[in-house]
Amino acid sequence: MSVESGHAAGAHERSHPTVRQYLLIGLLLTLITVVELIASYSDLGSLLIPILFVLSAVKFAVVIAYFMHLRFEDALLTRIFVVGFVLASAILISLLALFWTDGAISNR
Amino acid sequence: MAEAAHAPSHAAGAPHSATGIDSRKLLMWIFLASECLFFGALISTYLIFKGDIPFPPASFIADHLHGGEVTGWFPSDRIGPDGTEYAGVLNIPVTSASTFVLLMSSVAMVLAVFGAQNGRPKMMKTWLFATMLLGILFLGFQVFEFHEFGAEGLNLSTNQFGASFFVLTGFHGAHVTVGVLMLGSILIGSMRRTGLGPDSGFHVETVGLYWHFVDVVWIVIFTIIYLIPA
Repeated sequence: MSVESGHAAGAHERSHPTVRQYLLIGLLLTLITVVELIASYSDLGSLLIPILFVLSAVKFAVVIAYFMHLRFEDALLTRIFVVGFVLASAILISLLALFWTDGAISNR
Repeated sequence: MAEAAHAPSHAAGAPHSATGIDSRKLLMWIFLASECLFFGALISTYLIFKGDIPFPPASFIADHLHGGEVTGWFPSDRIGPDGTEYAGVLNIPVTSASTFVLLMSSVAMVLAVFGAQNGRPKMMKTWLFATMLLGILFLGFQVFEFHEFGAEGLNLSTNQFGASFFVLTGFHGAHVTVGVLMLGSILIGSMRRTGLGPDSGFHVETVGLYWHFVDVVWIVIFTIIYLIPA
């Protein structure tokens, strides 16, 4: 019991966001979405995909860290989720590499 | 009292694993990690097929030529080698609205969790209900989109883009539906005389984890399907 209590205290030493902070985070996510939309309609050429990926990654990280409270949780939970995410990314990269022929994606 | 309100992982009598983390929370995170693999595979398939959509057969062109354009084949506008114009099916403004709705549902969910963890049941119930409504609205957008695509000629069996698109977004929609049902069940549970019990903060937080993950998956799907050009 003392181990769990100490563990609980350790896991929650950093205070959770307030309502105001949650609303600000929601506003930030909305703004990033608007920027993504503007970018998709703009003529950014080869910069478009990296920009969209970075913006989506920021939204992804913010939701995971603050809305899902992973930033305030035990590091083990972060490791568990990251393992799944890394494996999923590896599957993505592997499949794209498998079907990538002569500079184009081909499934024939 | 503050620590009790902010310590949802360790409610009295709650089962915990050898790691010291509540086993129910651990299980939810393991499940979400597995869901990353599930959606990762579907997104990979979509990306592969999106990159190489062959032009439709003459029979399809004949059946779906409207106003000088062929509809229901490609995600975005395209001109064929013979000059045939193909109208893209994707409606970015409508999907942007649905994306905003799902984003706001995540904000509502986090406020519901805040209410549950801080002993504010009215706040919890209000925002749980709001989250449900927004989730149902999102599903309405999805149904509308699927219906529109079907009317234009794109369905599961049309081409590889159709198959991978509907499987990916269909499974995501199914996950949202399950989330709405989970929200409904804890909302109904919270209205009982005993409410959700001493573990109310934990139950709402667990459902919240699932709901936020569904939103996070849509963030990826929206970018890959709608924003990144084929």
